[in-house]
Amino acid sequence: MNKYITAYYLDEGKLLKGVKQIKSKGVKIKDVLSPFPVHGLDKALGLRRSRLARVAFAGGAIGAIAGFGFQTWVFTSAYPINFGGKPYFSAPSFIPVTFETTVLFSAFSMVFAFLIASKLLPGENPVILDERVTDDHFLVVIELDEESTEESIKEIEKALKEAGAEGIIIKA
Amino acid sequence: MENITFTLTKKIVTICIIMVSIGLLALVYGLIAGLGGERISANILLNNYYFLGMGLIGLFFVAVHAIAESGWQVSVQRIGEAMSTFIPIAGILMLLFFVFGGLHSIYDWTHPEHIDEILAKKAPYLNEPFFYIRLIIYFAIWSLLSFYIRKTSRELDNQKDIRYFHKLRKLSAIFIVTYAITSVTSAWDWLMSLDAHWFSTLYGWYIFMSMLASGVSMIIIILYLLKRMGYMTHVNNEHIHDLGKYLFGFSLFWAYLWFSQYMLIWYANIPEETIYFSERLDHFKPIFMANIIVNLAIPLLLLMTRDAKRAFWMLIPVAITVFIGHWIDLYQIIMPGAVGGEKAGIGFLEIGLTIGYLGLFFLVVFYSLSKSPLVPKNHPFYNESQDYHTNY
Amino acid sequence: MYVSPIREPLIKGNKDYSQVTKDILAPMAGKPGKYWYIGIALAGTAALFGGWATFVTLFTGIGSWGTNKTVGWAWDITNFVWWVGIGHAGTFISAILLLFRQKWRTSINRSAEAMTLIAVMCAGFFPLIHMGRLFLGFFIFPYPNTRALWVNFNSPLLWDVFAISTYFAVSLIFWYVGLIPDIGTVRDKATTKIRKAIYGFLSFGWTGSATHWARHETVSLILAGLAAPLVLSVHTIVSFDFATSVIPGWHTTIFPPYFVSGAVFSGFAMVLTLLIITRKALNLEQYITINHIESMNKIIILTGSIVGIAYMTEFFIAWYSGNEYEMFTFTNRAFGPYAWAYWIMMTCNVITPQLFWFKKIRTNVLITFIISIFVNIGMWFERFVIVVSSLHRDYLPSSWAMYSPTIVEVGLYVGTLGLFFTLFLLFIRAFPVIAIAEVKSVLKSSGENNNHTEHE
Repeated sequence: MNKYITAYYLDEGKLLKGVKQIKSKGVKIKDVLSPFPVHGLDKALGLRRSRLARVAFAGGAIGAIAGFGFQTWVFTSAYPINFGGKPYFSAPSFIPVTFETTVLFSAFSMVFAFLIASKLLPGENPVILDERVTDDHFLVVIELDEESTEESIKEIEKALKEAGAEGIIIKA
Repeated sequence: MENITFTLTKKIVTICIIMVSIGLLALVYGLIAGLGGERISANILLNNYYFLGMGLIGLFFVAVHAIAESGWQVSVQRIGEAMSTFIPIAGILMLLFFVFGGLHSIYDWTHPEHIDEILAKKAPYLNEPFFYIRLIIYFAIWSLLSFYIRKTSRELDNQKDIRYFHKLRKLSAIFIVTYAITSVTSAWDWLMSLDAHWFSTLYGWYIFMSMLASGVSMIIIILYLLKRMGYMTHVNNEHIHDLGKYLFGFSLFWAYLWFSQYMLIWYANIPEETIYFSERLDHFKPIFMANIIVNLAIPLLLLMTRDAKRAFWMLIPVAITVFIGHWIDLYQIIMPGAVGGEKAGIGFLEIGLTIGYLGLFFLVVFYSLSKSPLVPKNHPFYNESQDYHTNY
Repeated sequence: MYVSPIREPLIKGNKDYSQVTKDILAPMAGKPGKYWYIGIALAGTAALFGGWATFVTLFTGIGSWGTNKTVGWAWDITNFVWWVGIGHAGTFISAILLLFRQKWRTSINRSAEAMTLIAVMCAGFFPLIHMGRLFLGFFIFPYPNTRALWVNFNSPLLWDVFAISTYFAVSLIFWYVGLIPDIGTVRDKATTKIRKAIYGFLSFGWTGSATHWARHETVSLILAGLAAPLVLSVHTIVSFDFATSVIPGWHTTIFPPYFVSGAVFSGFAMVLTLLIITRKALNLEQYITINHIESMNKIIILTGSIVGIAYMTEFFIAWYSGNEYEMFTFTNRAFGPYAWAYWIMMTCNVITPQLFWFKKIRTNVLITFIISIFVNIGMWFERFVIVVSSLHRDYLPSSWAMYSPTIVEVGLYVGTLGLFFTLFLLFIRAFPVIAIAEVKSVLKSSGENNNHTEHE
């Protein structure tokens, strides 16, 4: 199992400043855990902008085509029936269902993509580094590999302290 | 320090006057070329109504944000206020137009010989004296409220007093309530009664959404022009993003109302209602189709992404398209009833007159902008609108 | 971000983050109080009454109802539309108010959305039971069958199937995605092993990682963008059930936006009814403040006024159209045998909500509660008036009929009310009623201890 150094903050403003400082010292931040989304943190950590919007668009496009296409197929070739003298291909009638399938496909494809990409699934059992993260602690996580020596750990600790961390815990 | 006093340069005035001259020229051309009184009248009505709508949406924009206590829009509030100065001018032009022959040339119900059984039933509402009374009431309410709303907003330039903020909110609420009714009834009076036999309960809201989409596109265009001239430097991508979202959202909402009205009439297939659409599909098919493509498909596809809503290079072309698109919408609303399939067309008269009205509108708006600072510095939400950034 | 000092704080009391967690989780801990048991006993009894009525309906058939050849739709469809309407507030709050950046949404969205889901379940029950053969309910979905026949995509009733099921599904994932971080909080605060295991399972392994949060925000925003038109579409399609017909009083183009407005109107009334009790009972008055109630009242007055204008427009155009059948329907509504229903509707929907123009009234909790009940009643009668009064005078006087409900129909309605309150009471025990993470994210800018000077 990996070793981690975690440093916690109690205020998102201080956290944001701290993260910037830690990064400038060249310490690699593995992750930041927080009780709510911190405005500007994704920029400070250099996270890539999420591409989930594209998944949503693709899902929506498929939903729209599938919905409209299916209705057209049913009414023009599979089993054409005359309903109230309307043409077999009555596009205005198909719009409501097409809209619903668009939204349905779009929403579900995006949410599933999000959950799977983030490994957020029922029964997932991740390591909880600090239970207070979902309450009021903001945690900076730094991973240690096998090469890190006592000294390098000390150095990281120093950098964290200088960056205003309110507490540092090493988790084995 | 940014420049918040707009100066009306000679260049702007000259351009506007040239545009107005083109409009007058188009009118003269229409008379000489013998395009017919109906077509000329219908065009005056179209443009007068279209730019009246711009003025009303300017005021609506200010009022609705005042009661919603929105912070960001303080930075563009003055554009809406300036647009609203066009209301009384449109009112005077409208009244003159109707009095000097416009009413009789395009409204069927004003001709006693055309009154049939149905129109006779409507006579208590559709008669000339009542029509003029309503017209005067509408413009009196709109002009007075727009005057007082502007006046109150300008008080905030001089003194920092929360009272004016509350007063602004109160006046705005009064405007919204009266406008909710008058926008619907005025649409019946001036537009729906062109097809005097036809009726649709959704009509007023549909017209309002058309106005709203085009009005927001105008706000974006004026903002862009001001920024081009070096003003409005405090307006950043975040504000533009919000305006872009409005343009996107209102275009979609317009399409929703369009679909609701069309689909219900198509589905029920009652002749007295479907005549409205069959008229348009028989004689105005290209315009009818263009209306949907330009006003729905283009904003939907081009403004879908976040980046597109935040950048002028994408937003401005779409705003201009929507501006033209809702002119087309109004064209297909007015022309079939007022002129008819044989005599209507789009030529120098239509385009020239629109340019003329646009010139007049710009002249009024820019003149009004030069009369007060471009941002109300003492507005309680001024700082909020300056320090403005969101995640979405 | 700068927040003007004239804005009222959204969260009262000088809270810090851990206090927020503690306050919101408090109602879930320990044994429920006496009132909770009384409440669930009453609601459960009502639900049992509904169970009996369902049994009777299925056993003897629709003949046990008061509907007849002329009035083929009555309480069932009234209840269906009423419940769907109530189900509009939750997603409206979490989607449309999110897009409009209304921060006060954070205190009420979670419970309002739970209410939405429950209300949509109650709504879906009525069309199903109206089939009389509940076990054949799957016929409404397009599935390949031996008859090679598909459903009728030309029918607005079929559009309803798609609209309601999509709405329920999307609202459910929207609600649950928002709930995941808060379930994580419940898990980490859990004191017993069983609770920890259950909420650990439900939390999908949430850790609060920055990457997850960034994605979570994107997902919430796009879901809001998708759910906003979806909310509009649902009641629009419900209104199509009526408006695509050629029945006077039903076929009118204003129906789609007017139904949507009415739905949001009734939805907010029900949210107020529930939350005014909930905030008191669970000691959440500092989170759901007078400010929140006032904001909701403003939405009630907006949507109520839109509905009022729509009533007047319909009436005017009925006259303006010159169509005598249309005009007869409307005079019959106002002065015919069901005039009492019409005037209850007018009073409760158009007149009483206008009292909210006065600040004194819209900031008064008790009066708000009473008016919210009035709106609930008024909106039920609106649907009753639309459904029954348009039908009962057919074109031929020989087919004129009156309608009155039987005890079975009353039972079905009361039963859904019981189901609604039972599930809501279970919800407040099982999940945090306020979005913890979202409240925390606005605490700095909108809490009472915000000193309004911070520029970040």
